[in-house]
Amino acid sequence: MGKWSRRAFIGAGVAAGGALIVGVAVRQGNPIDELGPLLTNGENEQLLNAWVKVDTDNVVTAVIPHVEMGQGVYTALAQMLADEMDADWNKVRILEAPADMQYVSDSIARDFLAPDLQVPAWFEPTVAGGILELAQAMGLQFTGGSYSVRATGQRAMRTAGAAAREMLVAAAASEWQVPESEIATADSMIIHAKSGKSVPFAAFAHAAAEQSLPAKPKLKSPDNYKIMGQPMARHDIPAKVDGSAIFGIDADVPGMKYAAVKAPPVIGATVESMDATTAKTMPGVLQILNMGDFVAVVADGYWQAQQALNTINAQYSKTEGDDLDLDAIFARYATSLDEAGEDGGDMQTEAGDVAKSFAGAATKVEAEYKVPFLAHATMEPMNCTAWVRDGKCDVWSGHQAPVNARQAAADAAGLPFEDVTYHNAYLGGGFGRRSDSDAIIMATRIAKATGYPVKMIWSREEDTAQDHYRPSATSRFRGGLDKDGRAVSWDNIHTHLFDPADAPTVPYYNIASHKIRKVDVPMHLRFGPWRSVDHSQHGFFIESFVDEMADAAGKDGYAFRRELLAESPRYLKVLDTAAKMSGWGSALPEKQGRGIAFVPSFGSIVAQVAEVDMSGPKPKVTKVYVAADPGFVVNPDGFTAQMESGIVYGLTAALYGDITIKDGAVQQSNFHDYPMLRIDEMPEVEVALINGDHERLGGGGEPGLPPIAPAVANAIFAATGKRVRELPIAKHDFA
Amino acid sequence: MQVRPLNQSALGLRPPFRYKLQIAIQTPGDISMIKLNVNGQTREVDADPATPVLWVIRENLNMPGTKFGCGIAQCGACTVHLDGEPVRSCSTPLSAAEGKTITTIEGLASEDGALHNVQQAWIEAQVPQCGYCQSGQIMSAVALLEKNPRPTDAQIDEAMAGNVCRCGMYGRIRKAIKAAADIDQPAKVEA
Amino acid sequence: MLTFIRAVALSSLLVLTACGADPAPGPVEQIIVREPGEAAAVASAEAPADALLAQGKAAFANCAACHTLEQSAPNGVGPNLFGIVGAGAGEIAGFAYSDALKGSGIIWTAAELDSFIADPTAKIPGTTMVAGAIADAAKRQAVIAYIDSVSAN
Repeated sequence: MGKWSRRAFIGAGVAAGGALIVGVAVRQGNPIDELGPLLTNGENEQLLNAWVKVDTDNVVTAVIPHVEMGQGVYTALAQMLADEMDADWNKVRILEAPADMQYVSDSIARDFLAPDLQVPAWFEPTVAGGILELAQAMGLQFTGGSYSVRATGQRAMRTAGAAAREMLVAAAASEWQVPESEIATADSMIIHAKSGKSVPFAAFAHAAAEQSLPAKPKLKSPDNYKIMGQPMARHDIPAKVDGSAIFGIDADVPGMKYAAVKAPPVIGATVESMDATTAKTMPGVLQILNMGDFVAVVADGYWQAQQALNTINAQYSKTEGDDLDLDAIFARYATSLDEAGEDGGDMQTEAGDVAKSFAGAATKVEAEYKVPFLAHATMEPMNCTAWVRDGKCDVWSGHQAPVNARQAAADAAGLPFEDVTYHNAYLGGGFGRRSDSDAIIMATRIAKATGYPVKMIWSREEDTAQDHYRPSATSRFRGGLDKDGRAVSWDNIHTHLFDPADAPTVPYYNIASHKIRKVDVPMHLRFGPWRSVDHSQHGFFIESFVDEMADAAGKDGYAFRRELLAESPRYLKVLDTAAKMSGWGSALPEKQGRGIAFVPSFGSIVAQVAEVDMSGPKPKVTKVYVAADPGFVVNPDGFTAQMESGIVYGLTAALYGDITIKDGAVQQSNFHDYPMLRIDEMPEVEVALINGDHERLGGGGEPGLPPIAPAVANAIFAATGKRVRELPIAKHDFA
Repeated sequence: MQVRPLNQSALGLRPPFRYKLQIAIQTPGDISMIKLNVNGQTREVDADPATPVLWVIRENLNMPGTKFGCGIAQCGACTVHLDGEPVRSCSTPLSAAEGKTITTIEGLASEDGALHNVQQAWIEAQVPQCGYCQSGQIMSAVALLEKNPRPTDAQIDEAMAGNVCRCGMYGRIRKAIKAAADIDQPAKVEA
Repeated sequence: MLTFIRAVALSSLLVLTACGADPAPGPVEQIIVREPGEAAAVASAEAPADALLAQGKAAFANCAACHTLEQSAPNGVGPNLFGIVGAGAGEIAGFAYSDALKGSGIIWTAAELDSFIADPTAKIPGTTMVAGAIADAAKRQAVIAYIDSVSAN
């Protein structure tokens, strides 16, 4: 299908029973009967369509099929809908969609959006159960992959807003007996200038719902945007400064008790036995459970549960991972890469004759890079509250894919999907960790065993040791330069491919012959998506190696990349903007250096220049200049915040992030041995935004991250002459 | 960039997540009635004196604004004021709070609901992302400004380095503290 | 104290759902100490007769964030403190002490512990114990007595 068709989009949504329902009122026999009661608060409201409703007080409510984890998605998506609808921004409300199949966002379906987008491959295996067949085919009510604005916003929210507006106009035209073309809309009002009529949307909400679906709602062109492109204040912020924002961990259910849990330190082991002699006598303890794959203590309070859990002596089964240390894991990578040699492994992309171009290169460059395992370390430790009783199950948590969480709870409770209610709250950090449902399943199983509601909270130690880690990886490169120092050959083989598939590729760099291969190395640890997913590894690999090639060519990193991007003006503009902001080429004091990196990811193009000061006892990143082109920036302040945030998340990992393995178990436990960047190490960040293509939007949550590690490593090289080929930077001595 | 202010009436609706029900937790074992002063109110708590103040606030007093992050005073998410001093409530036993005044994030706004200057500055600088660490950040910042109304960057670093923000909003936190400092001291003496 | 164990056969949980998903396994062992709302049995263990020890135990909660006290419990952020009273500085096995503390030559008498806990970084500049100081002298005394009593048992 390839191309997105608005007619198919709207028609398909209604025909399929609800994934996108535009302009259909709630009434008998309507396919969204089930949905209506979830969204309406009373008789005074008309459900105009699945993504928008209009109240009698003329408040427009945008229903957001994504979750808020700090990325500002509520606000940005509401801006997109409200702008197309000509709604009054001051009367727009935001409601997160319930975890219902009606909200499975087929707006991100591949069929409509390919080849621009893909449903993340790592996400598909988590989809289970017949009731989710539609979801499997169509994509999900899922927040991640930086999809919200560029997919749901661009395709669904805007269309819904435009459709709603057209239906309101049609209703007014019919009532007033005037042509639709004479009717205008602005600030949630319907206006007929000739007759001087001006009424609120609400006056026609009911009549609008009776109108036929517009086949092709007309979307605005950028010069007509009023709300999109504006730095609107985020709707979720006021509740986050007065303590009233409710996160998953804040769930409060009558009669609720608390559980602390501990899983075997070696992932995959089971609990063979537990000695709970002391725990049984401890205050507040209600139950002690050996769940097979973890131990749980349920008590009147969380602290009591955790104290009692700490006294339990459990024996774990032996596993194949028991003898594994980090060195052995990297040795496996090396062996697999050695075995693959020059032609083995799985070919991902190939162009030209790499063997020939490499053999004929005037200068040859070879390098190997390594990155460690990383934990997500969300500020809010994993938690979930569940209540299983009378054939029903209620679950409270903060999850990136509420429909998946609901299905996971249904499976864990042994109940049909429809008997499970999932309540989502704010996420105290997601970063990919909260796309997994392990905590949901554990809490539901505990609650099923006890029969009363239980809030399970992981200790920070458990959260660190039982994460689904960003995988470690090794990547090897061989590059060739011609006699003018131009890159002519690129040969890369690496140990890691998860998602997105384009992460190791460099189609934007003009290198005539290239091949990229991967080898699979099995591992006992659990992997999960970690902010920017594979770009977090491959961004470092690629942009470090490009810098090494530049150095071998006797060129600076900026000039060398300019040559490679010479035929791509949009990319070049981003690179040039970052370089210019940084005063690239100007002198810096001794032991200071500048490094540049360029990584397009998730549809957005980002270049960063980092400045480091190596004169102190440890590397200090003083300044980061960012240029970003996500196509069109819906909320400039929100997008800027995402760039700042991605940089800190990536810089924390680049400087310190290191999950190590000994005897099969993760050695880190808390923030003292898995350190975080703090305010005293925060670089100044300056962001420039470029609107390069308003038709094709890119994401914001992830693209700010991949360039920072290589930019800093390249800056360290500029300052010290020492090349960082292995992260984290804290491992290295630059004295 | 000037952020467009938010219309306060347009705050988001969310499905109910917390039942409005006070749960009295009966704690067997070492129990004793401990008197606390929390946000200006006297509260009595039946709990083991060893229980960290964090869990007493969250579970016994049903005030969830103070957050659990690490349990070992490494992240600052649980910061509250104890007699005006910022403390990590996850590592402060209830016994240490007896007879003292505790202020939590819920107690910063004035009685008429007007936000504290620091909270206002946080909104203006659009500081929070996920928001989970922000109660602790704000409590640390308020304590800093009460002692030092015009902190330097180094003093901000020192006072705030105990508070981790995984969303990395440190630049905005610094900006908001400086903005709040100006609110606190409208008269600029130098000139 | 009433304790009973509910035996749970895994197979008994196999309630087939509409979509045929296998339910996640239930408990292998379930020890029910008490039902919610039931009064707790009066603790059979004798309450510490000495009020000082009770106070010390409560105050130790502050220390427990970093230190374990049970015999042969693993080191945490700080070393295990079993048997610390009377031991030499830097002697707890397996803990990565600061050079400053290891080289201090201190024998941890109650008095030495007392001045250390009062202000660790002042007594041993360079120690990694940067939190947990106890300003209240009576509380310090109670904590040290408690640590000593646990180690003596």
